[in-house]
This record gives sequence, structure tokens and C-alpha cells, in this order.
Amino acid sequence: MSAVQEALPAVKGSRDATVRRFALTDSIFHGMTRAAAILVLVLLGGVAISLFAGSWQALSTFGFSFLTTESWNPVTEKFGALAPIYGTIITSAIAILIAVPLGIGIAIFLTELCPRPLRRPIGMAVELLAGIPSIIYGIWGLFVLAPFLQTTVQPFIISVFHGIPGLNNLFAGPPYGIGLLTSAMILAIMILPFITSITKDVFDTVPSVLKESAYGIGCTTWEVTRRVVIPYTRIGIMGGVMLALGRALGETMAVTFVIGNAHRISTSLFAPATTISATIANEFTEAVGDLYTSSLVALGLILFVITFIILAIARYMLMRIDARTGA
Amino acid sequence: MSQMLSPDMTIATEAAAKSKIEVKNLNFYYGQSKALKDITLSLPERSVTAFIGPSGCGKSTLLRVFNRIYELYPKQTAEGQVLLDGQNVLDRSQDLNLLRTKIGMVFQKPTPFPMSIYENIAFGVRLYEKISKAEMDGRVEQALKRAALWTEVKDKLNASGLSLSGGQQQRLCIARTVAVKPEVILLDEPASALDPLSTAKIEELIDELQADYTIVIVTHNMQQAARVSKQTAFMYLGELIEFDKTEKIFTSPREKRTQDYITGRFG
Amino acid sequence: MSTAASLHQSRKRRNGVMMTLCVIAAGIGLAWLALILGALLYKGLSGVNLAVFTEMTPPPGDAGGLLNAIYGSIVMTIIGIIVGTPIGVLAGTYMAEYGRFSKLTTVVRFINDILLSAPSIIIGLFVYELMVRPMGHFSAIAGAVALAILVIPVVVRTTEDMLNLVPNALREAGTAIGAPRWVVIRSVAYRAAMSGIVTGILLAIARISGETAPLLFTALNNQFWSSNLNAPMASLPVTIFQFALSPYEEWQQLAWTGALIITLTVLALSIFARSLTGRREDK
Repeated sequence: MSAVQEALPAVKGSRDATVRRFALTDSIFHGMTRAAAILVLVLLGGVAISLFAGSWQALSTFGFSFLTTESWNPVTEKFGALAPIYGTIITSAIAILIAVPLGIGIAIFLTELCPRPLRRPIGMAVELLAGIPSIIYGIWGLFVLAPFLQTTVQPFIISVFHGIPGLNNLFAGPPYGIGLLTSAMILAIMILPFITSITKDVFDTVPSVLKESAYGIGCTTWEVTRRVVIPYTRIGIMGGVMLALGRALGETMAVTFVIGNAHRISTSLFAPATTISATIANEFTEAVGDLYTSSLVALGLILFVITFIILAIARYMLMRIDARTGA
Repeated sequence: MSQMLSPDMTIATEAAAKSKIEVKNLNFYYGQSKALKDITLSLPERSVTAFIGPSGCGKSTLLRVFNRIYELYPKQTAEGQVLLDGQNVLDRSQDLNLLRTKIGMVFQKPTPFPMSIYENIAFGVRLYEKISKAEMDGRVEQALKRAALWTEVKDKLNASGLSLSGGQQQRLCIARTVAVKPEVILLDEPASALDPLSTAKIEELIDELQADYTIVIVTHNMQQAARVSKQTAFMYLGELIEFDKTEKIFTSPREKRTQDYITGRFG
Repeated sequence: MSTAASLHQSRKRRNGVMMTLCVIAAGIGLAWLALILGALLYKGLSGVNLAVFTEMTPPPGDAGGLLNAIYGSIVMTIIGIIVGTPIGVLAGTYMAEYGRFSKLTTVVRFINDILLSAPSIIIGLFVYELMVRPMGHFSAIAGAVALAILVIPVVVRTTEDMLNLVPNALREAGTAIGAPRWVVIRSVAYRAAMSGIVTGILLAIARISGETAPLLFTALNNQFWSSNLNAPMASLPVTIFQFALSPYEEWQQLAWTGALIITLTVLALSIFARSLTGRREDK
């Protein structure tokens, strides 16, 4: 077996060449991966810079009043972002109000109540729901949900709240079918899967000893959930909700179908309105004149800044719960 | 001359076997905390040396310094000297890949690569040698024979390495290490995840391999150290407490702490 | 004693009410999904015929198909994947391998997560400013680039996650036989993480094949057959958008059929992707 040792000098020369080649290829590959990682940063930076550059004309023309002006008039070239901002925030807020209780309820159902054999299929169905392209929700909202709301639900609500101060403004007619509330409902169903799956994931991080000791002193399932599971996972749930909010704020196609694209602020939730993304989607290719285009890009910049802040907060919260579980 | 530095840590063997690895004043840090404290010892060529001690004593850390595998992780630093045939492997200029072809390593848990049995072995060989298919077949066979695995796998060389049993996987890892013709083989608790029968096979293998290789084995199993090694180092809290012929360590250790450990009073 | 008993009763009732509400929530969620899929099948299936796959998008009021839109979607999706995947895999590799402990990785992970959920219409605007405006016209290649930018964060995320699941012992073993880092990554880490990385790529395909917003002002649309990458190109989502909002019944029918095709494609891709990782977990 000393042949093993004797064979070494023979390969020595080529080994040195190989070592040099390896050092080179490794540093090339290292450089490529690093460059790709940096490209991710460059992309986000590029988005910010290009949006800022594109919106410069509008921002310098209108200044801060761009944010506070409701009028959006391509003919007189007077543009203000207030109506789309209002529509974006109202639709997203209502969507969150609908989707959060539903999503948490489904998560509780999946972790505590659902019979074991059904858990995986239902969990999977919820996640598949998240993968359906938004345009599908849009077309369904336009052709199925909106007519239904228009002919049955909205007339009913309008007649019920008619004459009740406050509420009669909130639900004022005529019933168009499309509008703020319809958009919010479509957004709610779209973000529901995100909230459900993130909530379910953070519920799973609760140590079972914690739950068992609560059950051990005689707590009901609801009490364990309410007093142990939800407090323990509060940050994670908040993170998930913020993530969903980020999605809702930026969602384009589903909303564009059913919002009605009306640049005005109405107190009625049944009224057609617009959102930032719907305005851009509807008008960008038809925009005539640099100022019009620039104003649309400025809307994009506002959306970018809002969603960046919301998503950053969401990620920060989710990172904190990750750090705690050591995941 | 190194014997002069710390005579008590060197074995005055009758034949004065040539030392393969000499460790001089080695310190090791995980970030701020010191894991190895001024280690000095000399490992003779073509013989089995065992490192024993309670967990956390630094025996695995010391092993991981020899092939500088610790450099995969940040904030781990070694200072001092580790001489392989007189050359300091801790030198900045030392090429790590080349060092690791000279010093092979087998880990606690079997780590077959996600490829076929044949490829598991050919992979390492192919890195530094351009050889024909026939030669490669020969090398694979030779390595598998060396690791006492050939008869068990010769009909399924294209099966995944992951399809083998734990003991077979570990012998595959030894075959893979032997195939690249190292001079030193480091074994980091190679049998701790295996059943007694597989363990016996691995120990038998170690005994055979020492004819050609310098072997260092870390183990928490004192009987194993006694069975397979010629000399044993007992470590405790990052220090080398005693290093001597295995026989001596297990029958009449000089240090009280060694005595306490091998008689099971702690650890 | 009686107060304790009544307290117990009310707690039990409360529990019953809340749990019932949770079951109702799940019911609403599932029913909603069923409603959407049901409507899609009902309205979409009736329009499925050979012409959909063999004829071009028709002028208003005429019958026709979706061939050019389907073709455009496939072309732009493929280019988007070809451009986006290598960048995503490389960046994910940096984060899980070379740069696992570096500050850069923390920053990139944070930014990537934001890109992952950033509104896709913003990406459309970015590519418009980046390519369409300088080139002076809409083009399929701009659409493909916009899709590639959507692919990157998905692939980065899954690549990093999957490589992080590869046990360190395997990397150490590769390193210990003298393989340089990049060989360990290529031959050991990638192999071990392969099914997970492929899943990520499939999910990325699923995501971009339904994307509309980023194509609206990059690839625009094209009523006719075009294989010129430097010219506007039709795509299924944009065609659906245009046709659904039109007053013509033939167009609306085609929109439903297109929606069905996209949904089935996306669902099939997601289910296939999940089954890949599912098998891995069973092992």
C-alpha cells in the first residue's frame, strides 16, 4: 500500500495548476453571486430613482398641493392625487376590516378545530387561492359580484339605512354595483389567504407546552387562543396583516375592474371612485402630454413610498418573530 | 528540537517515530471566548491518536484546526502553529483546498453527497486528477475495498449514496476520503451515530488504515479510544491535560483529572 | 358553588360561540373560493373550442381566438424566466453560501422581501422609464424584462431558503475532500436543494403568467400575430383586461375563456410545484 504514497509526486505538478485554476474560478463565481445580490439592491434603488425622475415635472409644477388637490383634469392639466389616495386607503382599510377577522378565524379553525385529514387539503386550498392571478378576481368581481350587489344587496341596504343620519350618507345610492365597497370586498378575498397562512404559521410557533399548561388549568379552546396563542403571536399576526395591507394598497387589476374610475371623493361607499393603481392602469397609455404622464408617475411614487413603509414595518415585525423562534 | 519545548507532552517512544503533525502553542477563539488554550503536542506518523474528554473540552475544535475547516465560519480564529511535515498549515499562504486533500476528514454523522455511490468517490478524485474511465473504475473499487464496502455495493454502484444504511454510509465516507489519497485522516466521533455492529466494522477499518495513514480520532467513548489508538490525549476545558501512550493513560495516568475522567467520576 | 358552575357554563357557551364563528369563517372562505372557481368554469368552459387556440384575437363583434395572446404570454414568460432565474439563483446563492454571515445579506434579504410584495404596477412604471421611454416605443422585450424583475425576488427567496436547509455537515464534507467552495455549491448544495429551487422557479412562472399590470405599458397589446420582440406583443392577461371591459359579447366570452386557461395553468403549476417539495418532506 505504499504505492499510495509514491503516486503523490507524479500528480504534484498538475495539482498546483489545478489549485490556481480553482482559486480563480471560485473568485469568479463568488463575484458573480455577489453581483447578483447587489443587483437586487440596485433594482429597488432603480425603481425609486426612475419614479422620482419621472414624476419630477409634476412635483415641481404642483408642489405639495399635489397631495391635497382633489381635481384631476387632463383638459386643463390640473392634477391632484387626493382622490386616488383616498380611494386607495378606504378600499384597503375596509378590506383589512373584513379579511382580518375572517383570516384569523380560519387560522384558528385550521390549527384547533379542523379534523386532521382535512387540514392539509384545506390549508392547501387557502394557499392556492393566494396564487390565483388578480385579473381573475377582477373579472369575477365585474361580471358576478357587482351585478349581484347592484340588484340585490345594495338596494336593500340603501332602503334600510335611508333616513338614518350618518349611515344614509355612507350608503347613499344609486346602486352602481361597482365602487368602493365592491373593490374592498374583492381586495378582502384576495388578501384573505395571506392573512390566513401567515397567522397559521405563527400559531404553529407557539410552544406546545405553553398551550398544554393552559389547557392543564382548565382553559377552553377559545381561552387558550385568546389568552395564550394570540398574545404570544401578536407581533407575527400584525406583521402578516401589514403584509396583506401592503398587497391591498398596491393591488391593481382586481380593483381596476370594479372601482369605476371616478376622480372624486364621495362619502358613499357605493359610489364609484378610483385608487392610485387603478388610475395608472387605466390612464397611463392614453395620457397625452408630459405633465399628465408625469402626474401618473408621481402617483406611482406615492404608492411606492406608502407600500415601502408598510412592507418594511411588516418585514421588521416578522423578522422579530423569526428571531424569537430561532428560525 | 520541539521535544525540548515541552518534554512532558511528547511521548518518548522507543523507536522515536517521526512526527507527522506538530502543534505548538495553539490558541483558538470563537469570537471572544477562548476554546483552546496553549495546546502543544506532536502526533506520530502512521499511527492512531485519540482525543478524549468531556463534551465542550475542545477535542473536536482541535481536530477542526488541522484542516482549517473552521474557516467556513466567521469569527473563528486560530493562533500558534500547526506543522504538517514541518510546514505551518495556519500560514496565510497555505492553500486551503490543497491542505484538505492532504488532510481528509470524516464526520460524526455520515455525509454522503446527493449522488450515486460511484460518483461519491469519483467526485473527489476528479477534482485534482485527470484520469481515464478505466482508471477511475479502478480507483473507486480500490477505495471501496479499502473501506471494506466493496462486496456490499459492487452491484449497485449507480444507486444513490443515500440509499445505504448508516454504517455503510459512514464507510462510504471513509472510502471517499481515502480515494483522494490523503496523508492524514481526521475522524470526528465517526461511530457515535452508528449501531454496535457498524461501530466494530469502523474500528476494524481504522486499525487497518493506520498502516498507511496518520489517523486522529475524536471520541467520547473511552473504550473505543482504548481499543483503536496508540496514544491518547485527554483534554479538559480547552486545555491539554495529558498526552501519552494509550496504555499509560488508561492504566496509570499522571494527572488526577485524567484518572477521574477515565474512571467515570465526571464527564 | 353555583356561581362557579354558572361561570363554567358561560365560559363554555362563549367557547362554543367563538368556535362556531371560526367554523363559519372557514366556510365563508371556502365557499368564496368555490364561487369564483365555479363561475370561472361555468362561463369559461362554454367558450372553449379549437378556434381559441388556432385563431387570432378578433376585431370587435367578430368571432376569433386567443392564439396570438397565448403565444405572446408564453414568449414573454419564457424570456422573463430565462433572464430572471439565473440572477435570482446567484443572488440566493450568495446569501446562503458566500455571504451567509455578511451584513450585505441582511440588507439584501430585507430589500428582496420588499420587492417580493411590491405592487407589480410600480415595476411596470419602472420598466417604462427604463426601456420604453428611451426606446421610444412599447416592446415585448420590455414586457419580458418587467416579468423578469418579478421573477427575481421569488427565486432569490426560495433559493436562499432551500440552500439554508442543506445541512452544514454536507458542505463541510465537500470542503474536507479539498473541493473549492464553488464546486461544493454546484455539486453538493445545488443537488441537495434542487427540488426546492425548481419549486421556486415554478412558483415564479405561476406568478408571472397571470401578471397584467406590469405588461400594460411595457409590452402593451397587439391585435395581430407578432413575433417581433422589438414591437408590442399581445398577452393573455392584457387581452382579458381589454376584452372584459369591452361592451362586445364575443370579446367578453373570450376574456372568460382566457381567464379559465390562465387559472388552470397557474393552479396546475402551483400544485405541481408543491408536490415536488411535498415529496421531499416525506423523505
